[in-house]
Amino acid sequence: MQLPPLTFMDTSLLLTIGAIILLITAELASPYYGHTNLTINKKKLKNAALASGTLFLITVAIRIINIITQT
Amino acid sequence: MQRTRRKRLNRIAVFAMLTLGISLTVISGIYLSSFLAILGVGIVFWGAVLLYITPARHVPLTLLNASTAANAGNTERILTELNLTEKGRYLPPKYLKNYESSLIFIPEKPIQPLPKREETTEEKLTSKNPSGVFLTPPGMALSKLFEQQLRVSFTKTDLSYLQQNLPKLLIEHMEIAETAEIQTQNDKITIELTGNILNEICQETQKHPRTHEAVGCLLSSAIACAIAKATGKAVIIEKETQTPDNKTTRIEYQILEE
Repeated sequence: MQLPPLTFMDTSLLLTIGAIILLITAELASPYYGHTNLTINKKKLKNAALASGTLFLITVAIRIINIITQT
Repeated sequence: MQRTRRKRLNRIAVFAMLTLGISLTVISGIYLSSFLAILGVGIVFWGAVLLYITPARHVPLTLLNASTAANAGNTERILTELNLTEKGRYLPPKYLKNYESSLIFIPEKPIQPLPKREETTEEKLTSKNPSGVFLTPPGMALSKLFEQQLRVSFTKTDLSYLQQNLPKLLIEHMEIAETAEIQTQNDKITIELTGNILNEICQETQKHPRTHEAVGCLLSSAIACAIAKATGKAVIIEKETQTPDNKTTRIEYQILEE
């Protein structure tokens, strides 16, 4: 058995999709749009969205650094 | 019973997702399949997210209404017994023995000085000089909850801090109202709220006219405690009105100059 054949780009793509979905959901579930009766823990949803968004941005930064150092 | 069952089903579904994701990731390692690896890691990611985002525990408003009705009734009895018709003064910290607590002083006569610090022991109900009654504000606990959410004591803030942070707290953190606006004009503060979920409780308080007039509703009382602490001056709830459709609440406060 080997490690799962996941490239860095695959992980970045997964994080992108997750972050976009979570960020949009967190924004639409915001009480500013009058959704005060949703039983979801919005603070945790927002935290999860921000965490995955940050991770995605880190992968982007790593890619940029790689491109710069290779040239 | 049904809620516990649903909660257990949710847990089972999330752990099934995590198990499936981990299994797919392991299988992808054996067969060297990128597709299975992406699928597995994706399922693990969403499983972990769903495990973290647990549903918030909500209490029906009717339960809250039922638990607050008795307090208003007791206050009404005290005010009727002592024949007090004046508006309650929310005392600032400098008049209190415990700086972090809140207290209302309801005077017997309209023009009376505020009681001295020595008079305001929290166990005391009546004051002789000046004559009146001390009551614990119905919104004191809610006001302390505001402080916990903002991670600050209102005694260390000022009115501009409240003006900036209270609307955000009521809308975003506590989800009490849909919109909130605070306006200040000299010694008058007006707060306008729409979609206030505590309106039903306020309607319950309105059944006790003396209490509503002297002490206010749960939310207006909590905000009065916050204003008294932030400004360091005594505050009275001048007026509290609701539109006929119960959508908008307007609370007017008056800061008393010494």
